Amino acid sequence: MNNYKLIKLGKFDESVMNNKTTQNISVKIDGKTVNAPVGTTVLQATQKAGIYIPTLCYLENIKPYGGCRLCIVEIKNMRGYPTACTTPIAQDMEISTKTPELQKLRRDILELVLSEHPYTCLVCRDKNNCNEFMTTTRKVSVTTGCNFCTNNGNCELQELVEYLELTEIKYPWAYKEIKPEKNNPFYDIDYNLCILCGRCVRVCNEVRYSEVLNFVQRGNLVIVGTAFGESQKDAGCEFCGACIDVCPTGSLSEKMGKWVGIPDKSTETTCVFCSVACKMNINTKDNRIVNVGPNPDNRTNPLQLCVRGKFVPGDIMHHPERITTPMLKKENKWIEVSWDEAINFTVNKLEQYRGNQFGIIGSAHESLENNYVLQKFSRKLMKSNNVDILSSFPDKNIIKKIHDYYTHHKPANIDDITNADTIFVIGSQTNLSHPIIENRIRKAAKNGKKVIVANTHDTRTSYFAEQNILYKQGEEHIFLLSLLSVLNNKISGKLSNDLKQEFKNFDIEKAFKRCGVSRQDIEKIAKSLLNSKKSVIIAGDGILINPDSIYNFNALVNIQTILKKPETCKIIFLLNEGNFYGSTIAGLHSDFLPGFDELANKKNIKKWSDNWKTKLNNTKGLSGNEMVNNITEDGITALFVVGDIPAHPNLAKLKFLVQQNMFLTELSEHAHVFFPITGFTETNGHIINLERKLKEITPVTASAKDIKTVWETISNLARVMQEKGFDYKKPEDIFSEINSFIDLSFATEEKAKKEILPIRADVSDKKKKLPVEIIAENNYFNYLGNDLLKLIPDMEDILGEGGSGSSSGSGSGSGSSSGII
Amino acid sequence: MKDTIDAILKKHIPKEKGNLIPVLQSVQKKEGYISPESVKRISNYFRISRSSIYGIATFYSQFRFNPPGRHSIKICLGTACHVQGGDFILKALQAEIGISPGETTDDMRFDLDRVACLGCCALAPVVMIDNKIHSRMSVIKLKELLNKYE
Repeated sequence: MNNYKLIKLGKFDESVMNNKTTQNISVKIDGKTVNAPVGTTVLQATQKAGIYIPTLCYLENIKPYGGCRLCIVEIKNMRGYPTACTTPIAQDMEISTKTPELQKLRRDILELVLSEHPYTCLVCRDKNNCNEFMTTTRKVSVTTGCNFCTNNGNCELQELVEYLELTEIKYPWAYKEIKPEKNNPFYDIDYNLCILCGRCVRVCNEVRYSEVLNFVQRGNLVIVGTAFGESQKDAGCEFCGACIDVCPTGSLSEKMGKWVGIPDKSTETTCVFCSVACKMNINTKDNRIVNVGPNPDNRTNPLQLCVRGKFVPGDIMHHPERITTPMLKKENKWIEVSWDEAINFTVNKLEQYRGNQFGIIGSAHESLENNYVLQKFSRKLMKSNNVDILSSFPDKNIIKKIHDYYTHHKPANIDDITNADTIFVIGSQTNLSHPIIENRIRKAAKNGKKVIVANTHDTRTSYFAEQNILYKQGEEHIFLLSLLSVLNNKISGKLSNDLKQEFKNFDIEKAFKRCGVSRQDIEKIAKSLLNSKKSVIIAGDGILINPDSIYNFNALVNIQTILKKPETCKIIFLLNEGNFYGSTIAGLHSDFLPGFDELANKKNIKKWSDNWKTKLNNTKGLSGNEMVNNITEDGITALFVVGDIPAHPNLAKLKFLVQQNMFLTELSEHAHVFFPITGFTETNGHIINLERKLKEITPVTASAKDIKTVWETISNLARVMQEKGFDYKKPEDIFSEINSFIDLSFATEEKAKKEILPIRADVSDKKKKLPVEIIAENNYFNYLGNDLLKLIPDMEDILGEGGSGSSSGSGSGSGSSSGII
Repeated sequence: MKDTIDAILKKHIPKEKGNLIPVLQSVQKKEGYISPESVKRISNYFRISRSSIYGIATFYSQFRFNPPGRHSIKICLGTACHVQGGDFILKALQAEIGISPGETTDDMRFDLDRVACLGCCALAPVVMIDNKIHSRMSVIKLKELLNKYE
């Protein structure tokens, strides 16, 4: 019967889905000749030809499943009705997609699918009027719509019923009587609506590798569930929300915007919560965020997001506690005032504190433009070089080191992770800090790549690792040195000899003992790194937020340099906040003018004095730590803080403190003026992510009238203070100003220097005491210094223990901002 | 318990994921049921997610997820027993001891299962308690019978 040589489905590989193969074959679909590469499925070929085939379980970029049977087609000389999604095309196939018989079968199949789904709304004769009456309180539910699912229009069954012109369903509706689950703050689960298409199960296991959902039970008892019916949290759900994005029914639905109706606008913007800077699509209605994530034109191919990107924006932008008007503190009480009053008051005060007694601390979540204007205000107008940023890095010089590294080595791309043979992850809680990086690591592991994880404790990444190293806390540097030394002994050459000199007094056996990793383990890592064609080293907080961070950095770069082909090894430095690198290049650093021009160099002061048509102060700037420690009569007396800084007794001694933030924080107790600030979904701008790519932020909603961006606030202050050079009309003006001074395309690349960076090869027994705030693990759930776990109801219950890292005693801010105090 | 599971797992190579079902069977044989703890251990050993293992195990009626009681009750719902009112007896029993099939009472006295046929249809409806078959059951007879088992 079968004349075609079919490719077995087991061979289905991603290269086919990405159309990388070149050999084309032609098939006839509904009389139309279509050329498609070998291995393409019939469904993909028809989609390419612009012919619609109804589907329910199909998901682009995931291995086909063939569960719903709606995509059945007729193929000449082939028995029965094969499913288009699982049948690969063969030369001269003749496919019909829409014969009356097929449509009848599809209708029957859909009827059966719907017999377990509340279908009344689908075949209701008043369905066209439904939207109008749907949101009425329903004492009269029968006539004004049913409230089984959300009314945000996310129902593919509706579309299918319409397409197949189904007006009646002959089966009674079998209600499954499953109790809806509302066990988490982000989404509701009602498996009574589930049609068992398996999309959520597959996305959870094959795309996100969270492995939480699966089909349980057998026969008509089958439902999607977790092991032993545990709650999503206990089952290890990471709340990435991918299952909601792919659900074709209302079975899984976001709590946010559940009853808001169909969104009227969808805007693409960039997430700033971490430095991966994912593209995100935000759906809004009436200037409110409805939900985040899926691309409305292509729901089944969700942009990948994590719990922060998917669920947080709407919650914080429309938070009831958000401050929406400027405030002045009068007699220890916050009084709401107009912008003019607040600005005039601030200007009067600021006039008294010009010079070295003034300081600005910005936020790494703010855009390039805002931070540029902020530091320009301090340097040009206030004549103070005391500018810094609230970030998680205790050693501010690490960012300069990373910048220098970038000028010699092309920054790694996120996709380099999946392309590498060996992935070496050190000291990182990637699943919490950078879930999308974690996703790539898991993907690589599942594709059989070698993943080596080294950390002080087991993390979720360890589960995917081929080799799992546990080193002692605080001995990161010794661990890296041991690896470097072992690696170096296997290599010869000039660099290697230089390095051997450094290791002259290095007692390696003692080092193994001190870091708690055996020689065999380190030899094994060295072997993997040496033998792999491409490798990626991912350095996380454990390495970078560390008293030895600079030496750790050097050791890592040395490892890369001495490898046989250093250009095939890439290092990814996991910066935490979205725009840390961008903020520093914009000049928000006590030692560097914009573009990493050293402040200590007179030439640079001259250059930027000319650029800004002013005379800059050449006093050395203070870092955030120094500023706070230096709050005295003749030290720092006034601060301007964007976001928040951790509590410190000195702050009470400030004569003048301006805070600009979305919420009142602990710091606000000491503040005299409070300006409301826009969130990242309300403003234009750019950020630079960990791949050193410039990413654009676009406004999704308009902010309330009295909420202003940092640059607007600063321009207003400068206007009243009668200073020129701050008359920006829109963020684009600032961006073009930055662009005229700094090359943000990073086109010039210097050739990699082959040199060994200094290390501290010393295994003396004195153990350095780590400052408490450095041991306390980072709280990744913060925005502009605000603790998201506290702001969003129940988020702490769900993510608290594991969410902010293992040591939960870090308290608000102390972890997130260890760089300051 | 840790040791028994490890001993079972040691007999299999982690890469041979196909051995999951024999492992589950051995665990059930040793421990009487599949506990969340054992699933966790098996999951870590084979690197199969816990939910997958649970999904696979729930597919087969041979696996139970509650510790066995001191006495196990099996109610036959095969054709003959069903016709003779086995369903009714099951419902009455559920109300009496307060558990559904697959569960165990809190005091660990009984566990309850439903089976398809015990091969003695002439005696329908039948109930099996601890491998002893009780024939021509009725709700009253069953209640009296339960008192004999402590």
